[in-house]
Amino acid sequence: MHPMGGSYRVVIADDDVDIRELVEIAVSRAGVELVASAGDGKSALDAIRSFVPDLAILDVAMPEMSGLDVVRAMRTDESLDSVRVLLLSASVDEATMAGGISAGANWYFPKPFSPKELSAWLSIGRE
Amino acid sequence: MAFDRQGVTMNKLSDSVRVMLFEGRADPSPFVKQSAAIIALLVSLAAVLVVPGLEPTHPSAVWVGAAIVVAATVVAFVLSQSQGLARYASIVPLIDFVGLGLFAAGIGGVYSNFFALIILPVLWIATGDGRRFVGYAIVGTVQAITVGFAVSGSLPETASDWFACVIATILATLTAAIVNELSSQSRKQIRAINSLAEDKERMLQRTVEYAAQLQDSEARFRAYDRMFRGVWSAVTEQSVIGTDVTGLIDAWNPGAAKILGPNAQDTEDKRYIFDFHVGEELENRARELNYPPGETVLNPGFSALVESARLGNAESREWSYVRDDGSLVPVQLSVTKRVDEAGVTVGYLFVASDVTQAREVSRLKDEFVGLISHELRTPLSSILGYLELMRDDEDNPLSPEHIKYLGVAERNAHRLLRLVGDLLFTAQVDSGKFALDAHDLVLDEIISAAVESARPAADAAGISLLELLPDRMAVVHGDALRLGQAVDNLVSNAIKFTPRGGTVTIALDCTERGAVVTVRDTGMGIAASELDKLFSRFFRASTATKNAVPGVGLGLTITKAIVTAHHGEMGVESEEGVGTCFSLTLPLVSEPAFVTVGAA
Repeated sequence: MHPMGGSYRVVIADDDVDIRELVEIAVSRAGVELVASAGDGKSALDAIRSFVPDLAILDVAMPEMSGLDVVRAMRTDESLDSVRVLLLSASVDEATMAGGISAGANWYFPKPFSPKELSAWLSIGRE
Repeated sequence: MAFDRQGVTMNKLSDSVRVMLFEGRADPSPFVKQSAAIIALLVSLAAVLVVPGLEPTHPSAVWVGAAIVVAATVVAFVLSQSQGLARYASIVPLIDFVGLGLFAAGIGGVYSNFFALIILPVLWIATGDGRRFVGYAIVGTVQAITVGFAVSGSLPETASDWFACVIATILATLTAAIVNELSSQSRKQIRAINSLAEDKERMLQRTVEYAAQLQDSEARFRAYDRMFRGVWSAVTEQSVIGTDVTGLIDAWNPGAAKILGPNAQDTEDKRYIFDFHVGEELENRARELNYPPGETVLNPGFSALVESARLGNAESREWSYVRDDGSLVPVQLSVTKRVDEAGVTVGYLFVASDVTQAREVSRLKDEFVGLISHELRTPLSSILGYLELMRDDEDNPLSPEHIKYLGVAERNAHRLLRLVGDLLFTAQVDSGKFALDAHDLVLDEIISAAVESARPAADAAGISLLELLPDRMAVVHGDALRLGQAVDNLVSNAIKFTPRGGTVTIALDCTERGAVVTVRDTGMGIAASELDKLFSRFFRASTATKNAVPGVGLGLTITKAIVTAHHGEMGVESEEGVGTCFSLTLPLVSEPAFVTVGAA
């Protein structure tokens, strides 16, 4: 069970199947609810709009609509204000990271990430 | 001889001078001079033989005298044959005195009209150079008189006899003295004329030489001019623009026309250099330089543009040129000043290369490195993530052997990740996108952290790690992460290159130059010839490749880039087979606080 009580709902999106599965495992081990798992930005945004989750874990570089585009679209939609966003990216230069935060993401994790640490972060309160 | 030597060097311009010199100096030959005496003798002899009443008193003396004069003529002829013998020519008139004296004595001695023939050798001998020739003439005359009395066999007896002798001698003396003086003056004049002629000849010679030099200089100047024009028109990929001190364009090469559009006729003496600059860029630069006074008040931006050059420092920096249609061209522009012969600044030269392509290449390179870095990190994320899942799978615990294999895979995946990071970092340094998150920090802590993180590797390799910290804290302004990376690089390098049983010493020292970190090993060392290439990208020392020490040659490049970005310096000393010592010096923030050893 989640320490915050109730169900903490997460949508994830990554175009790389292996990474997506890795994130899914980390999410399931953290004991939070995975409501949708998307392979591109557009499906991710649709899922976020449908489920209004607590957290969206998004890859930055995705076809059609990047993680940054998804965040920007979310931040223009007041109904999604409550959704926090964690960007995961293999782009580690400072400009990209700063760009992610200024687009409206709450956190930015560089790849490679440790599934164990991601799990721990998700289960202890995501701060 | 002197004439011949000069003659060789003379050219046709001075031929007339040479002729004049030759004629001025040459004397008639002894034979020509003697011809007067022999002709006079022959005429006198004919008169004696033909004219009644002129019968000789002593015919034998007449004939002997005539024979002596003929003999003198033969001698004169012989002496005339060679320049070397001509100097003995004075002997001829002396013989003439005897011959003519005898001839006259045979017809009446001093009382005879023929005694006047004596004047001929007197004239000859008196033309000699020097007063002594007057003496010779007197001696010759006295000799001729004496011969006359000797032939008659009596001494002068009457006052009239003595008077005739004295008068003859005085006349000969006066004649000799006058002729001698006239000759002397004539010789002086000839010398003066010759001297003038020589001067003139020398001047002509010099003029000819100057003319040749001038011709030579002109040919050289024309060659330089052709060369310059050739180079000027050949430079079509660089814009070269010259201006006066106010920025008015006075030179515009084909490269400028190619890059900017207008040609030389449209710009020279018509437009200013700052017409082709972005006003805002010039204004910003002027502000940066606090509006330098410059040499013109026309445009403060122009003063900013030429400020370094005006102060004598050639400057090269990026600017944008603006074409007449408003489009911009990024250029790398070097500005230098033009000075006249007195060293006074008369204008500036602006040499610019279009860097549009270079910028594009750099952008593509950045993009490529970013893409590669991203594309490599993604599979590495999977590898490392799943390896971690395997290791931490509590439901299916791995055997110790599998854990060992997993460790190898993980270690190598991390190595690959570091390499990708290094490549990305090097690209960032190249493109100037490498930013420092700088704060005041205690360098001692960074050293200790680096030593501690290197200790497991050192222990595994059987190498002693020594840490020597000063008794005061070294505070520097820098990026803790980057400085840690730099020290880590040096320490891990030292461990890699040191054989088992060796020692790596990491020391920190506060000196006047700043905080000095030294990392000394007892490793294989680096060849002296390779030390200057050590910090080049992808360079690997021969000792590293020979001993199969892993690496790609980016560590020291990155370390140096980090140190340089901190306004520090790197140094290296090494001896093959003995060891290597790397040092990095960083500026200290302030006088470091004194702390006792071990208090920190």
